[in-house]
Amino acid sequence: MRTLVIGLGNPILRDDGVGVRVAETVRGLLPPDVPVDVRETALGGLTLMEFMVGYDRVILVDALQRESGVPGTLHRWTLDDLRSVSPTQHAASPHDATLLTALEVGRRMGLRLPEEVIIYAIDVEDVLDFGEELTPAVAAVIPKAADAILAELCGIREAEKRGTSGGKARM
Amino acid sequence: MRQITIDPITRLEGHGKIEIFLNDEGDVANAYFVVPELRGFERFCVGRPAEEMPRITERICGVCPEAHHMASTKALDALFHVEPSPVVKKLRELFYSAFYVADHTTHFYALGAPDFVVGPDAPPAERNILGVVHKVGLEVGRQVIEARIRNHHVIELMGGRGVHPVAGLPGGWSKPLTEMERQEIEEIARENVAFGQFSLKLFEEIVLGNPEYVDMILSDAYTQRTYYMGTVDENNHVNFYDGMIRVVDPDGNEFVKYHPKDYLQHIAEHVEPWTYLKFPYLKAVGWKGFVDGKDSGVYCATPLSRLNAADGMATHWARLIELLYAAERMLELARDPEITDPNVRVEVTNTPDEGVGCVEAPRGTLTHHYWTDENGILTRVNLIVGTTNNYAPIAMSVKRAAESFIKKGTVITNGLLNRIEMAFRLYDPCLGCATHSLPGQMPLEAVIYDADGRVVERLTQYI
Repeated sequence: MRTLVIGLGNPILRDDGVGVRVAETVRGLLPPDVPVDVRETALGGLTLMEFMVGYDRVILVDALQRESGVPGTLHRWTLDDLRSVSPTQHAASPHDATLLTALEVGRRMGLRLPEEVIIYAIDVEDVLDFGEELTPAVAAVIPKAADAILAELCGIREAEKRGTSGGKARM
Repeated sequence: MRQITIDPITRLEGHGKIEIFLNDEGDVANAYFVVPELRGFERFCVGRPAEEMPRITERICGVCPEAHHMASTKALDALFHVEPSPVVKKLRELFYSAFYVADHTTHFYALGAPDFVVGPDAPPAERNILGVVHKVGLEVGRQVIEARIRNHHVIELMGGRGVHPVAGLPGGWSKPLTEMERQEIEEIARENVAFGQFSLKLFEEIVLGNPEYVDMILSDAYTQRTYYMGTVDENNHVNFYDGMIRVVDPDGNEFVKYHPKDYLQHIAEHVEPWTYLKFPYLKAVGWKGFVDGKDSGVYCATPLSRLNAADGMATHWARLIELLYAAERMLELARDPEITDPNVRVEVTNTPDEGVGCVEAPRGTLTHHYWTDENGILTRVNLIVGTTNNYAPIAMSVKRAAESFIKKGTVITNGLLNRIEMAFRLYDPCLGCATHSLPGQMPLEAVIYDADGRVVERLTQYI
């Protein structure tokens, strides 16, 4: 099974970079015998969909901003969950298409797109100030998020043995 | 006074918001286009080596990183006083042309076409690229995706990394082109030319062939008579990568032509209390408020402006003409015998001080201006991004569309709100540069307030 982990966000816009940081952490901890590709991007929509072509499973990590969010909370969603939390089709990348629309376009074009798309979303605090530092609550969740993803990639036992945080993701 | 808020605006970068204030009679008193502030960019840059800027500034925009990379690279040429060799200029322009084809393709088919191909009054759920594909057929959709993929491949091949290129150096380009790569790019350019011609034909059939759309495009609501800005070469022809800035008046006569480094002599910025973004205008004409015409310093810098500023046309149409131009330029450069010259670096020996770099970004003239100490460490940074040029015209277009569609007693429907949005979508504005957080709740919402500020009606466009 070909798997891709994508860290989404802008690494110089404070908490917006949390997805990229989690992806970097995952890359650093991946055992060499687990064949997983890891990349980062700041683009959503069609470009994000095009990155997924040829993979069986994709794990996205992104910052989540909403009024009721508690910074540093980790969520694990499927595409169906994304559909229910994000009622607008134009949401994720307003400049071209949302991920859901883009995936639908890709499928209709006959592109080979993953059966399984898992989204790890982290509630964030500050995405309007330039800076490479994350806010403390958001920075603190990186090991937990990386562990949860590693658990998906190499099996839960492996991740516990590796244990970067000792905790399990709250989902 | 009633207030209508459209928040956030669908299909736009950044989380902008439109506020429309109605008077007691129910007519539009004022319309504001408010964008969120991204803070502290200059503070982030100061103290860093200038040569990092092409890789930093491309992060500030999630839509056109390549344009920032290029403007920044050119600012480094000026800062370090190095003249790139002819092959370097050609490689950069070849790379930049591939970016233009990909960007204009995406804008037209994903952002503009839903309004015109699917129709402005279609249900919101159909007004997206899926609706476009449904209307024009799977084959067209496939061509759009293929055009994007093959040009992104060229960007990665030439830029050293996809999306966020790394090849730009002061006076150079880190990667020469091999003959094999050149042949591949030439083939891709040929496919782009065919795709550009096909897209223009489609526009002609679907938009220009529909009298209702033509009437709408030519109506007062969507017409703006301002000064127009664009970059031109020595023959006053459009160029995206390099040239002089030419401004023409609303009648098409040349008003001024200047070197990009002199932009501060010609452009000033007006400040309004309700937004952090400044409104650039022509200094020599002056700021006369949000009005168009020859006496107002407001100017546009869009695909249409670029064609007007060169030796006219609707903006979406102009975008497709530019797509074809970019494809043809790409083919020309890919066939240039010099393009595989391996000498793509020059030695940088001069002391850096100050430099301006300028390109035509898809959304308007993009200017980067850096100041450094003698070690090349940044002390000051100023950017005028593409969309900022158009901030005043956007505000004016929104108000004008609102005035035409909201009149005494008119029932405000989502179709009308979409027409107001259409007025600024054609600028392809890109204001919040790079905030890509997953939204939890992001409906399109219009709130109407009465004279005392109480909410009297709430219209939502959950799509």
